[in-house]
This record gives sequence, structure tokens and C-alpha cells, in this order.
Amino acid sequence: MSLLSPVRRLLNWRSLRWKIAALTAAVACVVTAAVGVLAHRVTYEWSLTTGQQDAFRELDDAAAAYRKNGSMKDLSDLEEVPASMLRPMWEGDTFFWYDDRKPEEPWMWAGRVVDGEPLVVQVSMGPERRSLQALDRHIVMVALAALAVAVPLAALVAELPNRRLRRVARTARRIAEGDLDARIGADGREGDEIAEISAAVDSMAGSLQRWLLSEQRFTADVAHELRTPVMGLMTAAELLPDGEVTDLVRDRVRVLRILVENLLEISRLDAGAERADRVPVPLGEVVEESVRRTGLQATVTVIGAPVAETDPRRLDRIVANLVINAHRHGRPPVEVLVDGTTVVVRDHGPGFPDELLTHGPQRFRTGAAERGRGHGLGLAIALGQAGVIGAELTLANAPEGGAVAVLSLPRSARRG
Amino acid sequence: MSVSGGGGPPSLLLVEDDEVIRKTVAMTLERYGYAVSAAGDGLTGLELFRDGRHDLLVLDVMLPALDGIGLCRRVRESSVVPILMMSARGDSLDVVSGLEAGADDYVVKPVDTAVLVARIRSLLRRAAFTPPAPPAERSPEPADARLVFGDLSIDPQGLEVCRAGEPVALAPTELRLLLEFAVNPGIVLDRQTLLRNVWDYGWDGDSRVVDLCVQRLRKKIGTDRIETVRGFGYKLLR
Repeated sequence: MSLLSPVRRLLNWRSLRWKIAALTAAVACVVTAAVGVLAHRVTYEWSLTTGQQDAFRELDDAAAAYRKNGSMKDLSDLEEVPASMLRPMWEGDTFFWYDDRKPEEPWMWAGRVVDGEPLVVQVSMGPERRSLQALDRHIVMVALAALAVAVPLAALVAELPNRRLRRVARTARRIAEGDLDARIGADGREGDEIAEISAAVDSMAGSLQRWLLSEQRFTADVAHELRTPVMGLMTAAELLPDGEVTDLVRDRVRVLRILVENLLEISRLDAGAERADRVPVPLGEVVEESVRRTGLQATVTVIGAPVAETDPRRLDRIVANLVINAHRHGRPPVEVLVDGTTVVVRDHGPGFPDELLTHGPQRFRTGAAERGRGHGLGLAIALGQAGVIGAELTLANAPEGGAVAVLSLPRSARRG
Repeated sequence: MSVSGGGGPPSLLLVEDDEVIRKTVAMTLERYGYAVSAAGDGLTGLELFRDGRHDLLVLDVMLPALDGIGLCRRVRESSVVPILMMSARGDSLDVVSGLEAGADDYVVKPVDTAVLVARIRSLLRRAAFTPPAPPAERSPEPADARLVFGDLSIDPQGLEVCRAGEPVALAPTELRLLLEFAVNPGIVLDRQTLLRNVWDYGWDGDSRVVDLCVQRLRKKIGTDRIETVRGFGYKLLR
């Protein structure tokens, strides 16, 4: 595929390269046509003048011969000349007539009255006519040759800005895919518009990277500041002697810990700093394991042995959050179905609230009278993580009741 | 079970600047039967490490005086003792630099007592590694034969690795990883299999642990010996 792409790129007729080549060709054609018409015109006029001079000389010779010995030899027939052309002759002048009745063999006629006798001569304009035709042919040939050189040359020269533009597009795509170190690295020596857009893209990537880095650093610092006391609290609570109060403390510490982790996860997802670490994953196995780790009751059905290329840790987060959510807000039995690259989690409770279905999960809004049971972050995290691994998570209610969450993982790009 | 060969309980060195965590973790680990010495900063930690024999180090990443990564690097200069990093930041930079510095594993705070103890046990098991049965079973050669791969020779019984005749000092995790490759020569092992067999992780394991350990192993046994098979994993070349 990568081998074919340069060919496909070359054949893309909408490419700037071919547009520039077409423009060059059009300009070359117009210029050649104008120059050609001019040259043709000038040469034609010049050949007429030469023809008239030749005919004039011929006429002088005929007049001299006539005056000398009355010879009327080599004279042409007056009858062939249209009467209108003869008028200058009758008025005492010399007439010229370019006779192109036979286009391939034109003649130049000339005549004047000498001693009362109209003398008329004709010289062939055939050679002039043929050299004019040859000139036309030459002009066309030279124009074609020029086009044959200019068009590929234009396409070739257009390849340079084209290549720079493609580099801009490639870099922008890489940045969009998350490679924030990608830069076009134009040195600005060209000083043209492409250098300008390159510099603009580079500076955009730079500020994006700085913003993302500071966001990441901030989240990491917040994580450190929050996790350190939570960890102290956790291990200290573990050391307390068992009892009712200890259980209360441990439970609240657990809730606090989950809340902190969820908030950190949400803020990392919001910062857009999360990247999927994709590997081929046996879906059934991973889903079964994450359901097992939640410690909650759920039946897992796996159809076939599906393999998906995804980030198993993020998939685990999504499945666990969906199962926990189903137990917290729905009613058992909770069923998990793995079919192909689709994972369906459904319960048999009242289903998702309408507001959630229309507006999506709102943080810290758990709907109705369920406050205090969870923080309403689970679904938001599941959606965010689904976005990171390029999966689609749709929430709906089953017609016969119960919430249905469908996670569609992207089909494996590399293999099935 | 300790590598120091002493008869007492395994001795752990905990370096952690947060006083509550230091005290509570030390008390918890002592309850699990470990002898724990604790330090509040990197330099004290380094002193304690040099003074006594420790079977395992638990290091926080952010420490005053000398941070966990620096401390880990200093320890690695002279010792292959298993090192578990504890990071509260959990971002890839911390994790990667900790593993690059030579840590065998990492946990992100807050960590459950059960998880922490399980990781410590797993690391100690790797360190007190007894020759695995598989090489003897799968290898057609006699059980005491050395496995030879180019200029690399591995004694799966005596746990000795030599490169061009020179002994190579491998950390326990590196050794276990190499043995996992050695019993499957020429076979591509994916990261998950390695995570499961070497680190005792399930699917929640972080495959960067594998990548970075392979990198460290390559530095010691030659970069070409272990080949990366893109999209799959790694294999040891015969």
C-alpha cells in the first residue's frame, strides 16, 4: 500500500502539480499562438511586398522590351484580371492584383499603360506561399516542442512547493495523532506562503505541547499531593484493631481513595494527555478478569474467541466501571456479553434516566434520589476511556427494561 | 528465602519521605514478618543500604536530598538487589525513569497492603530463584548443560550468565526474563506472556515494565541477542 501511494499521488489529477502544469501549458499555448499569428501576418505582408516588387520589375522589363522593339512577348491576358482591379491602370497608375483563385498556386499580377497599350504581367507567388506554409508548420512544431519541455518542467518545479505542502499536511496529521514533538522545521529562508504556514503549524504545535505538558505536570502534582495523604490514611487504617468503628473508617477511606483516583483519571482524560497502549488482547479473557476483579456478581458470556487490538488496562477500566454502575444503579442479574469486538453490559433495573440518555453522563450527578451512592464519575470515565482507545460506547435502555451499555471496539487495524 | 543467605526474616529497606506512610508501611510489613529498616531521604537511604544487607528495597520516587531514581541508580552500580519503586505521580515519566534506572517493578500510591505485599513476595521469589524445571524438561541436552546462544552462555542450574566467557551480573528480574527467553529460544514471546510468567501480572500489568527490562537486558548481553517483533513481542535469537 505504501509502495503504491506515490503513484496514486502522482496520478491525482487534482494535485497542485497538474494544475500548475495545465496553467503553464495554457500560457505557453496563448503566447505561441499570438507570436505565431504575428509572424504569419508579417511574413505574408512581406511576401506580398516582395511579389509586387518582382511583378514591378517584370513589368519594367516588359515595358522596356515593348518600347524597344514592340515585343508583346510574355505578356498575360488582361481578360483574366477583374475589372475593378484594373482601375488604377486606366487612371495612369500601376495596378497589382494578388490572384489566389488557386490557393496552392497564387500569382501576383501587375500592369500599366505604356504608350497607350495596357501591359500586364504575372509572377508566381508559389514559392512564397510554400515558405509561408513551412513557417506555419515550424511555428506549430516549435510550440509543441516548447510545451513538451515546459509542461514536465512546470510539473517538476511545482513538485518542490508540493513536497513542502505535503510535509506540512503530514506533520499536522502526526500532531493530531498525538506526536507533539513533530515539527515541520522550515527555516524560513524561502520566505513564501508555505514557509509562513509551516511556521504557523510549528508554533501551534509548540503552544499545544507546552499547554499539554503544564497540564500533565499539574495533574501529576495534584495526584502526588492527594495520593500521599490518602496512602498514609489507608495504611494507618489497615493497622487499626478490627471493630465496628474501624470498619466505618476503612470504608470511608476506601470511598475517598476511589474518589481521588476517579477525579485524577477524569482530569487526565480531560487534559487529552492519555494515549492508548495497544496490543492484541483476547477479549473474553480480559473482560472475565475485570468482572472478577470487581468482586460483583455478573454472568459473562463469550461468543467465540475474539481478539481485539486495544489497551487492556483501559478496557478493564471501562468494563469494571460499567459493571459497578450496573450494580449500583440497576438491579441484578447483570449480564456481560462479548460478541466479536462488541462488549454489552446490561442489568435489569429501571434503566438509565432520560436526562442521562439525552445529555450524556454529568459528573457528580447520579440522578434522582441516589445521591451518596457513588459519585457519578464512573460512566464519564468509561466514556472518556472509550474515546482514548477509539471505541464507541452507547448507552440505551432495553425495551423490556434495564440499562444496556454497548462498547464497540474498533476492528483490528493490523490483523483480525 | 533471602538472597543474603542469612537465617532471619527477609530484610527490607524502605525509603519514603512521608512520615505517616513510612511508619505505617514499616509497621504493616513488620506484621507480615519482614525486618524493615526505614529512611526518610535518599542519602540516609543510601547510607543504610551500604551499611547493611537488604533483600529488597522499596523506594519512593520523590525524595529529598537524593531522589528515588538517583538512589536506584546508585544502588544498581554495586548491587542487583530487587528494587520496587513507589510513585504517587504515576505518570509515564516517573514510571519509565524508575524502570530505566534499574527498578524491577513499580506500584502507584495509594497501594493496597495486600498488593504491596504480593509484589514484594513476587520480587523476593524472583531473587531467591531456584532453577526452573522447564529448561531441563524441554532441553534435549542433559540437565546440567549450559544453554548457549552465540557468545552468550547460560547455566540454568547455577544461574550464571557469561558473555564471551566474561560473567554478566544480572538483576533477578533480568535473569528471570532471560531464562524465560532461554527456555523458548527462537519463539516470539508477547508482552502479556512475559508479564504473567516473569512479573506474575494479569492483564492489568503495565507492558512498559517488560520493554524497559528488555532494554536493560540488551545492554548487558548484547543488543542483537533479543529481537523485537513489532506488534507481537520479543524473541531470543539462537
